[in-house]
Amino acid sequence: MSAATGTVYDRGYRPYDGPRGGRKAAIAALVKSTLRRALGIRRSWRQKFLPWMLLGIVAIPALVNVGIAYVTRDSPLDSIEIVTYRGYVGHSSSLLLFVALVAPDVLCPDRRQRFLSLIFARPLSGSDYALAKLGAIGGLLFAFSFVPQMVLFIGQMLVNRGGALDYLTEHAAVLWQVPVAVALLALFYASLGLALSSLTSRRIVAGASILGVLLVSSSVAAILSEAAGTSPATEVINVLALPLYIRDLVFLGHIGDNFRLAELAGGEGMAVVAYVAVVGVSLATLLWRYRWSEA
Amino acid sequence: MRRVAGPLLRAVGLTKRFGGVTALDGLTMDVPHGRIGLVGANGAGKTTFFRLLLGLTRPTQGSVEVAGVEVSSDPARARSRLGYMPEHDCLPTDQSATDVVATLGELAGLPASAARQRASEVLDLVGLDESRFRPIEGYSTGMRQRTKLAQALVADPDLLLLDEPTAGLDPLGRESMLDLVSRLGGFGISVLLATHLLDDVQQVCDHVVMLDGGRLVVSGTTDELLERTGVVVVEVDHRVDALVAGLARRALAATVTPDGAVEVAASGDGDLDVIRDVVAELNLPLHRLSTRVGTLDEVFVRRAGVAEVT
Repeated sequence: MSAATGTVYDRGYRPYDGPRGGRKAAIAALVKSTLRRALGIRRSWRQKFLPWMLLGIVAIPALVNVGIAYVTRDSPLDSIEIVTYRGYVGHSSSLLLFVALVAPDVLCPDRRQRFLSLIFARPLSGSDYALAKLGAIGGLLFAFSFVPQMVLFIGQMLVNRGGALDYLTEHAAVLWQVPVAVALLALFYASLGLALSSLTSRRIVAGASILGVLLVSSSVAAILSEAAGTSPATEVINVLALPLYIRDLVFLGHIGDNFRLAELAGGEGMAVVAYVAVVGVSLATLLWRYRWSEA
Repeated sequence: MRRVAGPLLRAVGLTKRFGGVTALDGLTMDVPHGRIGLVGANGAGKTTFFRLLLGLTRPTQGSVEVAGVEVSSDPARARSRLGYMPEHDCLPTDQSATDVVATLGELAGLPASAARQRASEVLDLVGLDESRFRPIEGYSTGMRQRTKLAQALVADPDLLLLDEPTAGLDPLGRESMLDLVSRLGGFGISVLLATHLLDDVQQVCDHVVMLDGGRLVVSGTTDELLERTGVVVVEVDHRVDALVAGLARRALAATVTPDGAVEVAASGDGDLDVIRDVVAELNLPLHRLSTRVGTLDEVFVRRAGVAEVT
């Protein structure tokens, strides 16, 4: 009799007497399984290809910059920088595409396939679930933004004409600016991406919503900016630029001159308020969507 | 058996209302360890009771305990003692049974290596062979049901909540599933089997809880509920009409069933002696003389006062 006909064989049962973790272990396990899913681990090559390709693209500028610096290290010309540490934070649209691809993939199937009923039959609450997903995606975004910056830093340090120590001394501030700016960027993208994904059970809808919110807000801000007589304050509706304003505050202490918001007195405060509002609303939405398990 | 003292489940005035709808109405009962059937028609409150046990919803009034743990005050601890197999599809179809069961084992708090080991063992137990390594999207209904049972078992729970575990299974699969469920008690795991198939409960469970419209109809052992009906079934080879006539002469009412047996309204050992004597006087070969035991369907219809269980 084949198994497909529904045969159940009795091969005995062994009780489990080993260690058991509590809620923290369950959260850690959920973070781990989310990371595996996001990176396509234990999944088909098609599900591995896109996330790894997008993340690989993010690293290209760092590698090219270090390569050029190495090749021109003995040249009397000034060293060529194709990317700065500040410019590298939020530089690549690959990260946006990564969020639009992965955030829906780690949330929507759980709801669509009703897997949540099995997850919440474990010692996990709805907020545990939401925060584990946020931690996993935020952690991935941080790692894949931070590691290329470190490659850039260490590479530049090693090929620096004045010696590694000189480079380290001259760029010491980067060692705190980069992780802080990258963490704020990761928190922004992860919370927004997951919040929008939590509103639907369809991945394609969630992905389109994420890109739509970012790109439409950017386009509307650009149109308003072009219109005569509009205040630079309209720039705060540009959701795509919000983490870049915050990045500039971390690196420069003010918003960069390439943004119109820099022209406005108090623009920095408006940017911080808008950033906090987007992250706050996103987190509240995410927690609200999974509140039912604790109702 | 890893049992805590006291009842497995204790509900005290357990009530759950959703707006104007009362899903459970003042449920008070103690349920012992073992294999327990939770039966009732659709809408009787079975799923709501499961959700209350899992701490996924809070009671409007009253309380419920699982193995001494008050669910509302510590739902995570209560859940750590439970394994849950829902009725509906709930498996991620792009993953293998091995990965799903191991992941859910880790989410229940098992270390990663132990979770994978346990996943392998319970998938063996439920009879999922090499197909466990294939994506679930290619599984039959029976294989999916067995995967759902395996994930409920992976963390070695004290109590399994099984919601219609035989739904969608063919007769062989159903028998196998019920056989496995009936043996879980021997592994030290209690089972709460929610179903509207009273035959499943009668076959497997040693305690029955009947719900109707959110109210407790009856809670008792299966043997108690399958009370004697006062009807004796007699099977002989031939001359059935002569037997009926002979019994009538001795003041015992008898009828012939469609399958040729004779049912006699009897009360007490004296009537049984009379039946034996009539059979002997007529020199009939006696094949069966037994008291007819009722079915849970009859008990439910009688106690709940409903015409049929859907």
